[in-house]
Amino acid sequence: MNKTNVLEFKDVWKIYRMGGEEINALAGVNLTIKDGSFTSIMGPSGSGKSTLLHVAGILDMPTRGNLLMNGKDTSTLGAREQARFRRSEIGFVFQRFNLLPQLTTLENVLLPMNQPEPQKAQEYLDKMGLEGKYSKTPNQLSGGEQQRVSIARALVNQPSLILADEPTGELDSKNAEVIMGILQDLNKKEGVTIIIVTHNQLAADFTDKIIEMRDGNII
Amino acid sequence: MGIYSLSFKNLRRRKLRSILTMLGVVIGVTALVVLVGLTTGMTSYMKESTGNMMGDILIMNSTGGGALMSSPGSSFLDPEAVDEIKNMSQLYNIKEDVEFLTEFNGTQIYIVGTSDWSQIKINGTSGVVVSKTLEDMGYKVGSKITIKDQEMTVTGTFTEGSMGMGVVIMDSSRALPLNNNKSSSITANTRGDPEVVKNEVEKTVNGTTASTKSDLSKQIDDLMNGLTLFIGGIASIALLVGVISIVNIMLVNVTERTREIGVLKAIGFTNREVLGSILLESALIGFIGGIVGLIIAAILLQTAIILFGSQIGDIKLISMLPLWLIVGVIGGATGLSVLAGLYPAWRASRLNVVEALRNE
Repeated sequence: MNKTNVLEFKDVWKIYRMGGEEINALAGVNLTIKDGSFTSIMGPSGSGKSTLLHVAGILDMPTRGNLLMNGKDTSTLGAREQARFRRSEIGFVFQRFNLLPQLTTLENVLLPMNQPEPQKAQEYLDKMGLEGKYSKTPNQLSGGEQQRVSIARALVNQPSLILADEPTGELDSKNAEVIMGILQDLNKKEGVTIIIVTHNQLAADFTDKIIEMRDGNII
Repeated sequence: MGIYSLSFKNLRRRKLRSILTMLGVVIGVTALVVLVGLTTGMTSYMKESTGNMMGDILIMNSTGGGALMSSPGSSFLDPEAVDEIKNMSQLYNIKEDVEFLTEFNGTQIYIVGTSDWSQIKINGTSGVVVSKTLEDMGYKVGSKITIKDQEMTVTGTFTEGSMGMGVVIMDSSRALPLNNNKSSSITANTRGDPEVVKNEVEKTVNGTTASTKSDLSKQIDDLMNGLTLFIGGIASIALLVGVISIVNIMLVNVTERTREIGVLKAIGFTNREVLGSILLESALIGFIGGIVGLIIAAILLQTAIILFGSQIGDIKLISMLPLWLIVGVIGGATGLSVLAGLYPAWRASRLNVVEALRNE
């Protein structure tokens, strides 16, 4: 089956200046992510894997080069369109869950929806095994539960891509396995395209493809 | 679950902080409304009183300092001037009034000779009417009271408008001889335009100053507008301090929520939406603070009316809290709070997402 490219990095550079020194966080990355793929990015600290994920999520713009998402060049997007694009096309899962503490579980999932549909938000929470925890606030949930809420939040707008930055980084190995199992299911059963950044080989083993990074490039 | 409902949740999240911030606005608004409300109430009361003034024109001695500024019992019209005024063909229905201070049992009391009893609320009948202060000294209806060696019988008492002074009100015809027949003022109706007659009176009768109803109303406005502006200005400082504390607290809030703001932007909220939600939060502080301040001010004003109303006259809460004051103070508090939120909100909206997400 000929799958379309969700993401295409074309000679992407990200250069930071730190104390007069230039740091190539990304040094000419070329990478294609196919629709329905499940990829992990590994590498030591400072290898550029987080920057790659930020650029992929249009949280950060490349210094040079192009990023195409579903064939569209993201460098042409203004700040407002970038935000709209992130909302509709990308779902984020963070290492530290990043749920809003003042909102309930259900409200956290409803937050990014353009048209709030509590029914739909509940379905996603149910799918994550969180039935009956709709009105709990994040601090009443375990780490694993919080991460499942954040996956529900990432999924609720049915994005073309899920980006997860160390999704198991704050979890014990049992919960890490549960979370990776959920992501794997989403990928296998529903064809959701997922990229994770991880230090954890066990987490990476759940994915179909492992990309190693070093010094701002893929090896 | 839009970003704007977050503004409400954020206020409730740090209740004590929100309440303390609002307290600054509450105090400012309360001070402003109470002070401005009092002067506004006084203004409308004074205007109402002059509106009830008999006749079209009020004539006084020109050294007295005008109708509103004269201290009672200090300046009188000459009997010759009174005769001249009485002879003017443009005037009719001429009434002399007199007000003077006199020694009474070792204190000063105020004698008012009136030709119009309609504005005085009397318990008893008109004739010789004493204020509450004298009533408390034992002068009741039927008691004898001696003023300037003249013994008279008290026919009634009144409670309003005496400002705690000993006051005796009687017919001018009775009071005038007690003041060597010198009157304080003359009210009269005019034939023709009161403004023209006023000028004629001032020209023909030396040493007099005349005011028409509209003159008095304008004098009251000038006096009270100046007073309102001055008092309002002072009270506004309190509100301003409250508003500055909003800037401070919103900066703290935004800094504290840096990572959350990063998350909001990451999951697709635009800079403008982030800006709007923080402006809304600070507008809510001003709006709620304004309403609470207004309610407290209304309670304080009503309490003042209940406690002192009988001393200063018949002032209603509604005349102290005109719509312009209510709308102005709520709108002002809200608007200033939005201004106070601008810089913190702008800072939040400009946060770099990646750096914000890294924030501890």
